[in-house]
Amino acid sequence: MLFATAVFAPLLGALLAGLPGRVLGDRAAQLIAICFMLLASVCGVAAWVQHIYLGVPNGVVPVADWITAGDFRLQWALQYDTLSTTMVAMVTCVATLIHIYSVGYMAHERFTTSRFFGYLSLFSFSMLMLVTANNLVQLFFGWEGVGLCSYLLIGYWYDRPSACAAAIKAMIVNRVGDLSFALGIAAVFLRFGVVDFSTIFAAVPAHVDDMYHLLGTDFRAYEVIGVLLFIGAMGKSAQIFLHTWLPDAMEGPTPVSALIHAATMVTAGVFLMARMSPLMEYAPGALGMVTFIGATTCLFAATIGCVQNDIKRVIAYSTCSQLGYMFLAAGVGAYQASVFHLITHAFFKALLFLCAGSVIHAMSDEQDMRKMGGIWRRVPVTYAAMWMGSLALGGVFPFAGYFSKDAILNAAFESGSGIGLYGFACGSAAAFLTAFYSGRLLFMTFHGAPRADHHTMEHVHESPLTMTGPLMALSVGAVLAGWWFYPQFIGSLQQAYWQGALFNGANNHVLQRLEDVPAVIALLPSVLGLAGFAIAVWFYIINTALPVRLAERFRPVYLFLLNKWYFDELYDRIFVKPAWFLARLLWHTGDETLIDGVPNGLAELTVDGSRQAVRIQTGSIAIYAFTMLIGLVGLVSIFLFNR
Amino acid sequence: MMNWAAASPEIFLAVAGMAILLFGVLLKKENAALCTMLVLGAFAATFVMVMQTVPQTAYSSLFVTDAFASYAKLLILAGGALTMVLSLDYNERQGIGRFEFPVLMLFSTVGMMTMASAANLMTLYMGLELMSLSIYVLAAFAREELRSAEAGLKYFVLSALASGLLLYGISLTYGFAGTMDFAKLPDAVTGVDGVSTGLMVGIAFVIAGLAFKLSAVPFHMWTPDVYEGAPTPVTAFMSTAPKVAPFVVLLRVLIGPFGHVSVQWQPIIEVVSIASMLLGSFAAIGQTNIKRLMAYSSIGHMGYALVGLAPGTESGVRGVLIYLLTYVAMSAGAFACVIAMRRQGKSVERISDLAGLAKTDLPLASLLTLFMFSMAGVPPFAGFFGKLYVFLAAVQSGLWLLAIVGILTSVVACYYYIRIIKVMFFDAPAPAFDTRSASVSFVAIASGMFTLLFVLALGPFTGAAEAAARVLFG
Amino acid sequence: MISASAFFFYLFSAILLASAAAVVTSRNPVHAVLFLILAFFNAAGLFLLAGAEFLAMILLIVYVGAVAVLFLFVVMMLDVDFVQLREGVQKYAPVGAAVGAVLFGELWAVVLGWQVSPGADSLQGSPTPANMDNTHALGQVLYTDYVYLFQVSSLILLVAMIGAIVLTHRRREGTRRQNITMQQTRSVRDTLETLQVRMGAGVQELGILRPRPRAEPAEEEPRHEHAAGDH
Repeated sequence: MLFATAVFAPLLGALLAGLPGRVLGDRAAQLIAICFMLLASVCGVAAWVQHIYLGVPNGVVPVADWITAGDFRLQWALQYDTLSTTMVAMVTCVATLIHIYSVGYMAHERFTTSRFFGYLSLFSFSMLMLVTANNLVQLFFGWEGVGLCSYLLIGYWYDRPSACAAAIKAMIVNRVGDLSFALGIAAVFLRFGVVDFSTIFAAVPAHVDDMYHLLGTDFRAYEVIGVLLFIGAMGKSAQIFLHTWLPDAMEGPTPVSALIHAATMVTAGVFLMARMSPLMEYAPGALGMVTFIGATTCLFAATIGCVQNDIKRVIAYSTCSQLGYMFLAAGVGAYQASVFHLITHAFFKALLFLCAGSVIHAMSDEQDMRKMGGIWRRVPVTYAAMWMGSLALGGVFPFAGYFSKDAILNAAFESGSGIGLYGFACGSAAAFLTAFYSGRLLFMTFHGAPRADHHTMEHVHESPLTMTGPLMALSVGAVLAGWWFYPQFIGSLQQAYWQGALFNGANNHVLQRLEDVPAVIALLPSVLGLAGFAIAVWFYIINTALPVRLAERFRPVYLFLLNKWYFDELYDRIFVKPAWFLARLLWHTGDETLIDGVPNGLAELTVDGSRQAVRIQTGSIAIYAFTMLIGLVGLVSIFLFNR
Repeated sequence: MMNWAAASPEIFLAVAGMAILLFGVLLKKENAALCTMLVLGAFAATFVMVMQTVPQTAYSSLFVTDAFASYAKLLILAGGALTMVLSLDYNERQGIGRFEFPVLMLFSTVGMMTMASAANLMTLYMGLELMSLSIYVLAAFAREELRSAEAGLKYFVLSALASGLLLYGISLTYGFAGTMDFAKLPDAVTGVDGVSTGLMVGIAFVIAGLAFKLSAVPFHMWTPDVYEGAPTPVTAFMSTAPKVAPFVVLLRVLIGPFGHVSVQWQPIIEVVSIASMLLGSFAAIGQTNIKRLMAYSSIGHMGYALVGLAPGTESGVRGVLIYLLTYVAMSAGAFACVIAMRRQGKSVERISDLAGLAKTDLPLASLLTLFMFSMAGVPPFAGFFGKLYVFLAAVQSGLWLLAIVGILTSVVACYYYIRIIKVMFFDAPAPAFDTRSASVSFVAIASGMFTLLFVLALGPFTGAAEAAARVLFG
Repeated sequence: MISASAFFFYLFSAILLASAAAVVTSRNPVHAVLFLILAFFNAAGLFLLAGAEFLAMILLIVYVGAVAVLFLFVVMMLDVDFVQLREGVQKYAPVGAAVGAVLFGELWAVVLGWQVSPGADSLQGSPTPANMDNTHALGQVLYTDYVYLFQVSSLILLVAMIGAIVLTHRRREGTRRQNITMQQTRSVRDTLETLQVRMGAGVQELGILRPRPRAEPAEEEPRHEHAAGDH
């Protein structure tokens, strides 16, 4: 009951705040949305506590019958286990804080914000639906709901062309992943005949050796399913090749970015991997791909993050990078570490975004870090919170990021495979870069000489309590979450904590061996993190001319990174331009000429036929009589020939 | 012993007609409205009498009363009565309000009822002539108008040709079989090996003669001119009851006496049906006069109804009977709307005169929309079910071509039906029409209610049609 | 040696065909009607040979005596431009000929393949009883078995009559009609007046215009003047 309330309260909030929002007015709509979110978070945390500490066992909360088609029956039900309760608790808490923060952030909107709050709540609901799904179709429902809401929210400022473009881009890039995900679901259904998790997972060992014959090659069924599901996850979680929408999604209001990056949407892919762990464990090839993509993304996004100038974009690429870590962990079989990082990341990434929002708010909507600087005294709370978020992100002991990132790197190292080591190398390099760009962000934003114009500087002020409150709450999470949850998620208590929600194969002992890593390896993230911060200090506080010189010296590299490895340009060339061409072709030739042409031609033919048909209608009786006689002769002839 | 009572409705109606004629002559004053009322009363009484007839054969098996005949007669009487009501107001305003008008309609109706009861080719022919002759006069009733006189003459001349064909066909049949009795013909037809050429040609001629009255292609040429020229109530009349009577007689002849050679006549009906559907839908597109448009629409509708005859099955006949029922209602209603098109005392007939009717007279526009949708075959209006049943019967018998052509031409026909709706609702309004009389509104609303609510009373009507159809196959 | 009936059959048929062709082809419409009458006579002869003397007589009385003569009057009284009509004929002649030829061919096929249903004789509705002539036999069934059709025919005639009256009868202004009531009730005094007429004086001077001008239009004046002069 608590659990169902936690899931459906945001929906109710969305409906009540969103639909009659204009009538209710802003305040009432905000109040309704926040109240329902608060209710949801209380219930969500309570449900989690019940499960973990009060021993309420795993189960399924049925809601309604959904689909009955022939033998295919589908229930609308909520999965009640550690993974879902953990996610629900995290999502509701973070979303609630973001709701509250939004009140302050959106205070200067010209139009009523009820729509915004409605969307936010709906977004939270979709994510909750996704994480509590007990079957793949329901998960897909939440998956698409999240996609829809992200579209609505990224394009919230629909009068900005760039926002609309970003929204469309997010939608379309996600479609690629979603197609694959849908195919994956279909493949699962074909293989198992059902889509609900418990039945699938029970049947997994029975189908291990199933093969697909395709193009003369045999593929193991689980590998195919695993890869398809992972491509879906790549789209949602913005892994390399399907990551291009994420930075553009910064066009939405900052709370939206926080919501997308921390609690909802992008974590869906990681969640999917964790949820499908009983199946993925039997698909080593797919896991290898997960590791590879995750590790690559991790490093790739970090390199780009180092040179971006838009404060939100830096954080966006850091998300991309951190998601890479999570996939890296999932790929080497450390799902627990993956989810652990997901949770800690949720706290510090939400914190970072909200801080960034606070800064932007303070700087009169300026997002370019080159035009900031020297404001740390004026925004002390934000400054402090930002520090904590950055340290957590950079993986410095004892902040949250340290525990989870450390675990991931250790797991990658311990997996022993080549791909695991590749992941470890990428992850370590990325850890260094992460710390560097976190420091860069901090120093460029808050320290040094003010680069903004006088007018802006005058207006720099600390944000109201509705904004700083959530910052402080999240700061606590960013500081403590790692230390607090470490034993439960991946440490000694993990078996008791997860209660079988995540599955590790018989030969998968990564978690047990986490403690066995050499001290050098274990200390590496912290060392690299501190090194990264140190370099950032040198570059942006001590010798501020150096970065510019470096950029000029290695201009091609700099441009390569600044332009995000030219992915957008590449896709423009490979996909967008040909798609435009094809669309134009279909439009002009296919649609205008053929599809329009056929009915138009038919219509013309019809009118023409009509003209011919009445031409004989001259009014002359003789012609009429002749027509009759000719007709008669025709009929008699038919008769005679038909005998 | 002769059973006179079998024809009592016809006899009553004829006697009433003569009495009203006498009354009209003697009364001398302007008495058209009164005579029309009397004729309507006679119709009502006849309606009741028809309902009470028992199935029997009479007059040396020239005449038969059965469920099929009763169904047809009731439909004919209803159609006649509806159009008679339409004439009340129109004739008076048009200055042709004379008492002979209803009397001629009455005699025409007697002829049609005779046709419906025909059990012999002779009865068929006599009924047909009585019906037609009255209509020639009615078509030319507005004798001061050139168009009307021309319509009457044209119909007369061409109809004479058609009658000649029919008679020739009958004589060929008689020459082959030695009888014109529907009950005895099947024996004669099946008596020989194979099929006699003479008989086949005879059937073809009979079909041609009746197809003329149905205005089925290629015997349709008179229809647009006559529909346009005749006074509108006469046009309405022509498109309702005088379509029903030849059709039921065609059903009776082809299913009854010639049912055994259905393989032979089936292609003819198919060709006529397809040609009618095609012409009815295509030729109407370019029309600007709504009466001409209705003429082509009527041609098309007869084509659809013939689809039900082609299979020669019970379900097909049932479909035709339902089709005719819905068609009569739609037609009467549509023509009521046409009669309501009157501006500054003058009748107008162009489609463009309907422009923006929805803004000046929404009820009329809505009713006409209803009829147009129904004629186009849009569910859930009555016209849809007529089409549904005939197409269903065709498909059940494997006559896919007919059904496909029917559906395609329905789509084409939609164009001109819906164009009228477009003109009424989206074009800049033309000046408003004159106030219409209660009688016209009555017919329009009554037909409209029928068309709209037919779906609710589908059961009883289908049941009646089914019972009527069963007679032919009994 | 052919029998007499066969001889007459061929004779009548030949003349019938020839005169029918002449009806269509003759240039003078009066001739055409006269040929039509000739055709009717020969058709009557054929009916006689077939033993249908009643039909033969009806044909003569109705068609020759009434219809054809009416045609003749119409042709002679109406100024119909037959040359113009003929143009139309020439225009459609090729099509007509083609259609006619096909139809003829088909009907010829019918004639060649003619067969009669084996039971035709037994199926006959009202066969002529033995020892009874055709007229007598018709009379026996016309008002009994076929009374319904007979009555319907009479209705057709009634409708034709009504139609003729409706379509042609009209009250024209200016025509003189007989008003019996007025005729009966008028007295001598109303109509007759004795006047003294001076020598050499005109009617206008005397004021004896007859009938007395009511409010009549001016153009009718001369006619009255003339009438008065006669008086």
